[in-house]
Amino acid sequence: MEQFLNDNMYVIDLGELNTAPEIIFELSSVLDKEEVKNKRICLKLGNVDLNQAQLLSIKSLINGIDSTLSCVDTKSVETEKVALALGIIVSNVSAENAVELAPTMPYKLAEELREEVTNTQTEENEDIVEESDINGESLNDAIIEDNENLASEKVESVNEAQEIFESQTEEVQVEKEVVAEPREIINSDMDNSAIPEATKEEIQDELDVIFGSTPSQTVFYDMQHPTEIYEEREELTDIIVPEQEYTKEDIELESFPTKYIKQTIRSGQVINYEGNIVIIGDCHPGCEVTAFGDITVWGILSGIAHAGAGGNQKAKVRALKMNAIQLRIANCYSRRPDSLNTVYIEKTNSFTPEEARIVNGEIVVFKMND
Amino acid sequence: MAGRVIVITSGKGGVGKTTTSANIGTALAKNGHSVVLVDTDIGLRNLDLLLGLENRIVYTLVDVVEERCKLKQALVKDKKNPNLCLLAAAQTRDKSSVSEEQLKKITEKLKKDYDYILIDCPAGIEQGFQTAIAGASEAIVVTTPEMSAVRDADRIIGLLEAADGIESYKLLLNRVRPNMIKSKDMMSVEDVENILSCQKIGVIPEDTGIITSTNRGEPIVNNEKSLAGKAYMNVARRINGEDVPFLDIDEPKDFVGKLKKFFSGLKKQGKE
Repeated sequence: MEQFLNDNMYVIDLGELNTAPEIIFELSSVLDKEEVKNKRICLKLGNVDLNQAQLLSIKSLINGIDSTLSCVDTKSVETEKVALALGIIVSNVSAENAVELAPTMPYKLAEELREEVTNTQTEENEDIVEESDINGESLNDAIIEDNENLASEKVESVNEAQEIFESQTEEVQVEKEVVAEPREIINSDMDNSAIPEATKEEIQDELDVIFGSTPSQTVFYDMQHPTEIYEEREELTDIIVPEQEYTKEDIELESFPTKYIKQTIRSGQVINYEGNIVIIGDCHPGCEVTAFGDITVWGILSGIAHAGAGGNQKAKVRALKMNAIQLRIANCYSRRPDSLNTVYIEKTNSFTPEEARIVNGEIVVFKMND
Repeated sequence: MAGRVIVITSGKGGVGKTTTSANIGTALAKNGHSVVLVDTDIGLRNLDLLLGLENRIVYTLVDVVEERCKLKQALVKDKKNPNLCLLAAAQTRDKSSVSEEQLKKITEKLKKDYDYILIDCPAGIEQGFQTAIAGASEAIVVTTPEMSAVRDADRIIGLLEAADGIESYKLLLNRVRPNMIKSKDMMSVEDVENILSCQKIGVIPEDTGIITSTNRGEPIVNNEKSLAGKAYMNVARRINGEDVPFLDIDEPKDFVGKLKKFFSGLKKQGKE
């Protein structure tokens, strides 16, 4: 029912309940527990339509135990509107309680997602493999694509990093608005050449995942203008999908200049560039590499890497050995899982190149050679 | 409620300022006080590493000073102890990034919300030191029983006495090895106290566990079996005004030694 996400965040899943009294009854029983106190709470609601008074009473219930209702995940448009009117962020985390602003969400490894694929959706996997064979795609690509779908279904993917972004400077927010514009610029020729042929069913599946089961996953959209979300969503479901794949952000990435750096980046050193950065050497802990485009490290990446610093969501971070303290891509922040805090990384001749990119608002690290 | 601002300083590097800050901070937080650790060692920050919070830092002291974020946003909560917060130093800047007045302003703000503000001072007596002591009203001088460290501590105490804001200072003797004191190879605790004519607040024995705990990013006070951890815990209680007897750090490891100690203890009791 409820889920312990991290030190400060608690997800309460009430998605199966259909009436407001049921929700309040269930919630009050959950709130009795000691571990829910002093937390930020994310409510997962189902199709139920809540009015303002009901949501207010839920909010005061939660406030009563010194916790804050920081986000709501709902399938009902009605509830979503009410929540937004009350200042509760939908499927996102409020920036009000700023003490926990550090990236509390560790980055995921692709295997974690993959395991879930093999466990839960083996059948679907097979379908996609078949299709991908026909289309000449590699098996790996297909699985990763499926992973992306899966990831979007996760409620845990409530994007905490967004809140950090919310509190960033105006400059970044302006750029974010640019990102949120409808992607009309792309012409269809380009789409065909760049995107692997996807079957209609696949597209439909994807649509279901993105807009059907988790309608409030609005990673790309500007939280400053929540009304735009609905409009844009309808537009997208009606017609175009390929834009999802090849956006003006990709075009932007391809047009960036690239800077090559042949040296070891040591603690305290900062590298900024309005383009792509390729570092031939290691990045030691305590360094910061910030690029508007991709960051590629031909060595061990242990410092902080911020790709797509101008707001480009398609930017990626690649490294022969990924051990970054923090990964930041566009507006997403994530930290290294505490389990990976080791004294030093052994330098061997065998590396496992990895790539980090945004998958539905979360930074996910993929292995590149398997 | 006004919090106490305590600066942890030493003059000489490598005597254990940062370790002391991390452990006293954790110990105070464990005892139920709200604590902020402020790392003022800009450019050579380590406190985050000792607490294992390295991967959570987004904003730093310099960001707060330069108003890129609010003070609250820069406070990183400890993994285990919700009472403990860290205000980290920037790694990519230098000591000139923060002035005395700016740090004073920050500590004044923190005082309102927290019981203890511990400032981890950088080594040396230059700008970084002057900045670190600016907001503090109390000081803990960390030293080891070596001539060089004691000299530097003496210099620091002189500067602390000359500083306006510092009302009291105490001595913390770190890395003490009872066996070496016994064989007259090391200055005794009393010697150091006499040389510096300064009251001590704690004596921490040398402990190899410190190295392990630093590497793991977990303060040694969390390890209840460790002698150094216990000693730090006692220091925290003394800071809080409790009257805690000094720990008997003279603990021989081998069985014969333990036996001898047991009998000598019996003898002492008999005399009394």
